[in-house]
Formats: sequence, structure tokens, C-alpha cells
Amino acid sequence: MNPNIVETINVAREVAWLPWAVQYLFLIGLSYGAWLLSLPGVVFRRPGWAGISRLALLGALVCGLAAPVALLADLHQPGRFWHFYAYFTPTSWMSWGAFFIPVYLGGLLIYAWLAFRPELARHAQSGGKLAGMAGVLAYGGHESRGALKAAALLAFIGAALVALYTGAEVAVVQARPLWNTPLLPLQFFVTAFAGAVGLVLLFNRYSVRDEAANRRLAGVLAATQAVALAVGALWLALGVSGISPVHARALAEVGPSANWQLSALWAVAATVLTLVLAWKRPGSGLLIGLLALHSAWMMRWSIFIGGQEVPKTGAGYYTYSLPLGPEGLMGIVGTAGLWVFLFVLITTLLPLDRLAAGADDNAAA
Amino acid sequence: MNKASQNLQGAAPVSVARRNFLRGVPVVTAAAVLAPAPAIASTGKQQWAMLIDVRKCIGCQACTVSCIQENAVPEGSFRTVVSTYSVKLTDSTQPAGTYVLPRLCNHCDNPPCIPVCPVSATYKREDGIVAVDGDRCVGCAYCVQACPYDARFINHDTGKADKCTFCAHRVDAGLLPACVETCVGGARIFGDINNSEGEFARLLKDAQPQLKVLKPELETAPRVFYIGLDERFTGKVEGQGTLWKPRSLPHA
Ligand code: SF4
Ligand code: SF4
Repeated sequence: MNPNIVETINVAREVAWLPWAVQYLFLIGLSYGAWLLSLPGVVFRRPGWAGISRLALLGALVCGLAAPVALLADLHQPGRFWHFYAYFTPTSWMSWGAFFIPVYLGGLLIYAWLAFRPELARHAQSGGKLAGMAGVLAYGGHESRGALKAAALLAFIGAALVALYTGAEVAVVQARPLWNTPLLPLQFFVTAFAGAVGLVLLFNRYSVRDEAANRRLAGVLAATQAVALAVGALWLALGVSGISPVHARALAEVGPSANWQLSALWAVAATVLTLVLAWKRPGSGLLIGLLALHSAWMMRWSIFIGGQEVPKTGAGYYTYSLPLGPEGLMGIVGTAGLWVFLFVLITTLLPLDRLAAGADDNAAA
Repeated sequence: MNKASQNLQGAAPVSVARRNFLRGVPVVTAAAVLAPAPAIASTGKQQWAMLIDVRKCIGCQACTVSCIQENAVPEGSFRTVVSTYSVKLTDSTQPAGTYVLPRLCNHCDNPPCIPVCPVSATYKREDGIVAVDGDRCVGCAYCVQACPYDARFINHDTGKADKCTFCAHRVDAGLLPACVETCVGGARIFGDINNSEGEFARLLKDAQPQLKVLKPELETAPRVFYIGLDERFTGKVEGQGTLWKPRSLPHA
């Protein structure tokens, strides 16, 4: 900071992408990450993965359905969302995103339905809550591997496009050096996937507490944390060395701020802690699961909200304080509430325990 | 100083011209500086631009206020503002001086706010003014993020992207932007850069050696030009943050 210049009058621009946007990126990231985790068990039928993959698919579904609501709420004119489809603009990643989201969600829904049909039929027979609805949804309850694989392909294309656009949309904003780095999409992806592992760890913990699944997930989580640290180190190295001017600019923008130093320290400490615990104490499923989810959320919060606290022309930093209304805290609470509602609804039809445990038939196949 | 600045001193009659213009009296000397009749405005031949002579700005914020009045800008939001800095002086007996910098949308010729808009609501008019189609804007704020000058904001009253329009409604009617009209120091000059014969183009040409734009390295090709722009203020200002910052009230 140059002590010879003091800004006495200027405008403070407000945060324009609200906490809703953080929630959207968090949930959609968890969703595609969890969807990836559903592949080994559901599609490839890898032994020992059936329970994990079904729980992951549940997570992908709940997060995937909640995410677009948060996205809509971040628009200041939500009623006009159809404009995205009426006025396609190929130069805008956000415009593409409006088309990628339905591809992913469509693929995910068909895929989940095909994967869970036998389970739904089972639930209908068991006569539990909403058994009638489960029976209708099961629509015979047949398994159709060919259709499942086709749906998986569609969902894969959708997931890849969503992961690409959510990262690119932010990374192309040259006006915000902190966002404008080619590593950002990768960082979003790695933390999203790690968060998804964390979510499945929690599901496992609150259902069958399958130790083998827990260890397997802990191993995957440790790997993600190692990758996250490596990418972070690369980011820093590129910035410090000046090899990459965009990274140097990003570092210069936030480096001098004490708040940012604290955030960075926090992120590194949480990642190292998760890595060490997942590796050395894989049994601590609940703790490492929560840590991974927390890191995924914090990363998005700091980059998104923190990034908007950096004035583009003015001196110093803006300070953001979370408003309590719909443009702030209620956005976070609201999406969390929606998530819980969807979770309760879906697990009534597809109880957690059954998803996690009723696995052997698949695994054996 | 040099020839250019003398010419700019010579630009002082603009304020007189402004008053005459209000009375509807045709003014020959500053005709090109002023927006011509509406009929001409529709030919699409003009390219509107602004020249700000920082040396003449007295930091009175008359432009800030007149813009708010003219455009019903909600409380706490600004389409233009005169950023004010206290700068330590080394070559004077005084400890510090004041530096003022009027800011507004630059109506860039290569505007980063346009390609990001997912519904093509932000567009460039034929006369160079960067505008937002309020009927189409979904309020996604992508343009707010993409503008490197913090020129945009979401208007809480309308839920849409908002920014300086060069007072397009006035320009279309043959009037000057409100800020230019009210500028006490005669620091803001508005005109058509395409009219090579005109006064505005001549002023720009004369000032060429000292003409600067904000953040030139981004190649946004701003249409707001500055005379007397100190290097330390062309980008993000390195200094201590604002002591007083207006904040818009939560949704009124
Ligand atoms: S100053 Fe900002 S809002 Fe104005 S045209 Fe340039 S990029 Fe767009
Ligand atoms: S806020 Fe409006 S003008 Fe800006 S990018 Fe979104 S839709 Fe376009």
C-alpha cells in the first residue's frame, strides 16, 4: 500500500453476485462430484463400491435439484429466466450454462431413475411411507443396463459441460485478477469432488457405518487433498515467480490483505488436516467428511464474495457484511432448507440404509 | 504550458456555449461539442465521447448530484462520482494536495461488459453509447463483474443492470449529458469524435500528447478521455481505502 495516497471520497460497489451464487456453485459442484462417485458402483459394478455409489447418486440428486433454485434466486429478475433460452448469446459462458444445466440434470434424472427403479419397486412392496408413489415411479422396477449406460453417457457430457462452464464463467473475468487464472476451474473441480466425497462419508456414517466403504472413501479423499495442495502450490509458485503474469496479478491483488492471508492460511491448514486425518485415521469419517465439505464451501465463499470485495479502481478493499435478508443469510438458510426438504423426500422413497446396504446383489454381478 | 493546454484554456467558452444552448441559441464555436439536432442523431454517424480535463475539475460533485437527479439513481448508488484523494506532496510547503478524478462508464469501444451478457441485453448503439435494454436484462450481474472500471451496479429499484448512459435520452433530444451541463469547472466536454471538422475532434487532437484513458493495458478502448490524468490513478489506486463510503440501503 502506498501511504502517500488516501482515498477520501469514492463509491463502494456492493457485492452483485450474492451468497445465492456461492450456494449454487457449491451444490452443483457437489452434485457433479457425487455423480462421478456413482459411476464405479452403478455403472462399472466395481466390487465394494455399490453402497458408496448409490449414496453418492442420492447426493448428486439432492444437490443437483437444489442448485438451480439457488441460481435462479441469484438473478435480480428471476421471472425472466426464460430470456436465457429466447436470447442465446454464444459469447457468454453464462448463456451456454443455461443450456448445459438441463443436459446435466436431464441426464442425471434419467440415470438416477434407471439406477433406482429396482429399489423403488422394493420400497413399494415393503409398503413403507409413500409406497404407492414409489410403485408408480418404479414403473415395473425393471433393470435396463443398456438404457442406464446411455443415460450415464448423457449425464457425463452434462456434468463435464457444467464443470467446464462454472469454472470458465468465473475464470474469464479479466476485470477480477483473482478470478482470472486458468487454474481456477481446476481448483473448483478438485474441491467440488472432495466435497462430494465428504458428503458420501456423512451419508455412510448416518446409515450403515460400513467401515470398508469409509476407508475406501477416506483414501479417495486423501488423494483429492493432495491434488488440491499441489494445485495450490502451483498457483502460488506461478504467482511468486512471475512466470505467469495472470497469477502474479491475482497474487498482487489479494496478497497484501491481512484478511486474505488468514483465509489462505485457513484453507491450507484445513486441507493439510483433512489429508493427514484421511490418511492416518481413515476411521474419522464424520470429521473428515465435514472438513471436506467445509473446505469446498469456504473456497467458493472466499473466491466469490472475497473477490468482489476488491475494488477495481478504488483504493483498499470493500468490506462485506452478510445481510440478514434474502440477499444474504436467508439465501444460505433457504438453500439449506430446500436441500433438507429434498433429502427427506427422496430418502422416504429410497431409505439411506437400504441404498447403502442393499448392495451385494449388484456388487456380486 | 504547451500548445495543447493553451487550446484547452481556449475551450473555456464551452460553459458559455452551454448556457446559450439551453436558451436554444445556435452557437457556432462549440457546435460540434454540443449534441446537434435529433434528426442528425439518428443517422448513426456520430460516435459520442467525453473529454475530462482533470485540471479544471474542482471536485464539487455537482455532476454526481445532477446525474442522480436526472436519472433517478437510487440512494447510495452512483453512475458517476468524482473520486477524491489526498496525496502527500513532496515539492511543496503544503503537506498534502487533493487529487480529483471524475469516473463514469467509459462507453468502451471494446467493452468487456457486452460479450458476457447472457441475453444480449447490453449492447452498443450505433452512436457508440453502451446501453442496457431494460426489458431484456435478467439482472444476472455478469456485466457488473466484467466491467473493469466498477462502472456498473444492480439498481435496487429496478433489479436490472445500471450505469451511465451518457444521458442517451438527452443526447437523442439534442441536449448535453446532465453532468456536462452542470460541470462547474468546465472540466467535462462532450462531443462527436467522428466529426473531424468539429470542435471536439480538434480539442482531442490538440490534447493528443497528454491524452490518457483508464487501464489502457486492458485494451477496452475507452471513449472517455482524460487530460491531466496522473499515472498513479489510471488503474486500481494504490493507497489507503476510502474513509467515507456511501452504501446503498438494503432494498427499500
Ligand atoms: S466502462 Fe464498463 S460498463 Fe462502461 S462500456 Fe466499459 S466495460 Fe462496459
Ligand atoms: S445484468 Fe442484465 S445487462 Fe448485465 S449481463 Fe446480466 S442480463 Fe446482461
